[in-house]
Amino acid sequence: MDDKREREGIVLTEAQKRSRRQRSIAIALALGVLVVLFFAVTIVKGPVVLNRPL
Amino acid sequence: MSVVDHNAIELAAPRISEAEVGDYIALLKPRVMSLVIFTALVGLAIAPGHFHPVLAITSLLCISVGAGASGALNMALEGDIDALMSRTANRPIPRGRITRAEAMAFGVTLSFFSVMTLGILVNWYAGALLAFTIFFYVVIYTMGLKRRTAQNIVIGGAAGSLPPVVAWVAATGSISVEPLLLFLIIFFWTPPHFWALALFRSDDYARAGVPMLPVVAGPDATRLQILLYTIVLVAIAASPWPLGYFDAIYGVTSLILGAGMLVLAVNVYVARERSQSLRATRKLFAFSILYLFALFATLLLEVVVRAVAPWIGLGVG
Repeated sequence: MDDKREREGIVLTEAQKRSRRQRSIAIALALGVLVVLFFAVTIVKGPVVLNRPL
Repeated sequence: MSVVDHNAIELAAPRISEAEVGDYIALLKPRVMSLVIFTALVGLAIAPGHFHPVLAITSLLCISVGAGASGALNMALEGDIDALMSRTANRPIPRGRITRAEAMAFGVTLSFFSVMTLGILVNWYAGALLAFTIFFYVVIYTMGLKRRTAQNIVIGGAAGSLPPVVAWVAATGSISVEPLLLFLIIFFWTPPHFWALALFRSDDYARAGVPMLPVVAGPDATRLQILLYTIVLVAIAASPWPLGYFDAIYGVTSLILGAGMLVLAVNVYVARERSQSLRATRKLFAFSILYLFALFATLLLEVVVRAVAPWIGLGVG
């Protein structure tokens, strides 16, 4: 019995699984927005984007 | 032989979060964020020169996420007092949906990304000013002033006044008188707005040990301060018109709205009977939100009128 529990590790409840999935999707969307944003600004600025004097 | 009996060690079950996306959105203080977005939008709109829409959207996004990050850090640091006040007891941390450490990590991450993104994609002056705004709200206001002095929201109000300045700096890369006028309007609007709230929530603040003005100096002193700050606010809000920074549409609107603010502030000062006083402070609190919104909306309207005027043959500006 103890062996079986040890092998299974921590088992998430349905509510925990659902909320984790929601959070993962939100993080993925946020990263997607960031990628689109950097891409769009790169296109808008054109070659100037490489000109970054200190 | 081991000195530790491993069988005797019972590890506490790890806490697994059930927080949903909505709980994290609540950490961002969406209603405060909406006001920040709007005032920043006005800062962008009145800035001179052409600013590419993609860069404008990027700036607004970074400023609003930075404001949300400040809100999350504020809630992480104030979880203990939020639990004691009826207005804030339903926030995610007092409800046990999110831990203070999780809120702190969320706030720090968003702060970092908002500042770096604004700096890299728009300009570093705006990025630095956004970082300063977050620092001021979290360290100076939340950690330093909130629990120590009745002047907490007066000085702390500077953080809430900066978004239109950050937006202007994002658009122009420099600073000028116009965004500083917007800063002053929000700065002097903050005390009457929050002290009106504190007047009808003073029991809450007293229970939590927050030294808001009504708790420390009493309701009468607070009513006087509200009136004095409102007089200064109305004068400062109208000043850009005679000074020539904003047009007549703004000037007249600011005088009409200012008269409304003044009447309500006088009502708060005069009404001392409990139910009357409560009604007067609630009215002032509600109107103060409308006041700021309408004042900034008028500035937006002026920009639109000025842009459209040549197309429809009007000689404005």
